[in-house]
Amino acid sequence: MYHWTWFYLIPGIADGTAIPGVSEAGAHSLHILPTSWFICGLISVFALLANRAIAAARAKGGTLQYVPDSGMSVRNIAEIAVEALINLAEGVFGTRKNAIAYLPLVGTLFLYILVSNLIGLIPGFLPPTSDISTNFALALAVFLVFNIQGLRVNGVGYLKHLMGPILWLAPLMFVLESVGMLFRPVSLSLRLFGNLNGDHMVFGVFSDLVPALIPSIVLGLGLFVSFIQAFVFTLLSVVYVALAIAHDDH
Amino acid sequence: MTRKTLGLATAMTALLLVSAPALAAGGEAAGSSGGWDGVGAGLAIGLAALGAGLGQGRTGASAMEGIARNPQATGKIQTVMIIGMALMESLAIYGLIVGLKLSGVF
Repeated sequence: MYHWTWFYLIPGIADGTAIPGVSEAGAHSLHILPTSWFICGLISVFALLANRAIAAARAKGGTLQYVPDSGMSVRNIAEIAVEALINLAEGVFGTRKNAIAYLPLVGTLFLYILVSNLIGLIPGFLPPTSDISTNFALALAVFLVFNIQGLRVNGVGYLKHLMGPILWLAPLMFVLESVGMLFRPVSLSLRLFGNLNGDHMVFGVFSDLVPALIPSIVLGLGLFVSFIQAFVFTLLSVVYVALAIAHDDH
Repeated sequence: MTRKTLGLATAMTALLLVSAPALAAGGEAAGSSGGWDGVGAGLAIGLAALGAGLGQGRTGASAMEGIARNPQATGKIQTVMIIGMALMESLAIYGLIVGLKLSGVF
């Protein structure tokens, strides 16, 4: 299945010469880096516009600065997105302070994975999250965050938690729990990878079987799956972090 | 075992035994699996989808019952249901990945 993307029109991308380190050997994944940068560029442009709009609104001062714009504007979309993400994190963490502290992680994961999934629905683009490396990079970042935060907040108690409740079962419990913990990034990345690749393959097979526009129905399923998978990845990483930093209630 | 289960098991065994000569004649070329890769791939995704379907059906049913008893909690119930469905879905996806690996796509 040879993949073609719009980025192959840029000279040097298709034969791997423009980006040092990417070679013809990984021919099926030559489009990953350019698409990834494109998505980061999109999100950065959106963030810059939103920042400027919010600064302009804040300059009004007093109570007038809190009045939202009428209709759809960059500021409204940004405010809704940030509010929804903070509420999502607050539902898991319990306190708003923790939710705002982890908002960079939550926001980055959700926005990057959502835009990446959605860009796969546009003909001529392939989502970087359909490649196992991108997914594993994101999952590894989450793994590092929840382990480091767990060790920082709970100290050695974080490792003692892995040993389970009963003392003489501790060796067995430690092995089981640490395997479970090491499997978390693998499962996160495989879930996203499988969903997006399966969707792509179903669309491909359908297009071979049925003429022209009918396979577009599969794109509707793809839209649904994109949102759900971004949401699930984000929510699961928030749950892992919350489990790692929870200590009081035992 | 009930008669239905026994009949199903007999049919499956007969099918496998009948197809064994065909598999042996077909592909001895690459690898030493003798053509059983296809059966493995089919079983992988089939059983994974069966398990996931049963689990997700149960989850959906209890979510619907919860919403029917308390329509005000729809938002929370829906959120938790989606998470549960996605986790079960991921088990089916693992089966799909094994099936695709055996079919030679990856």
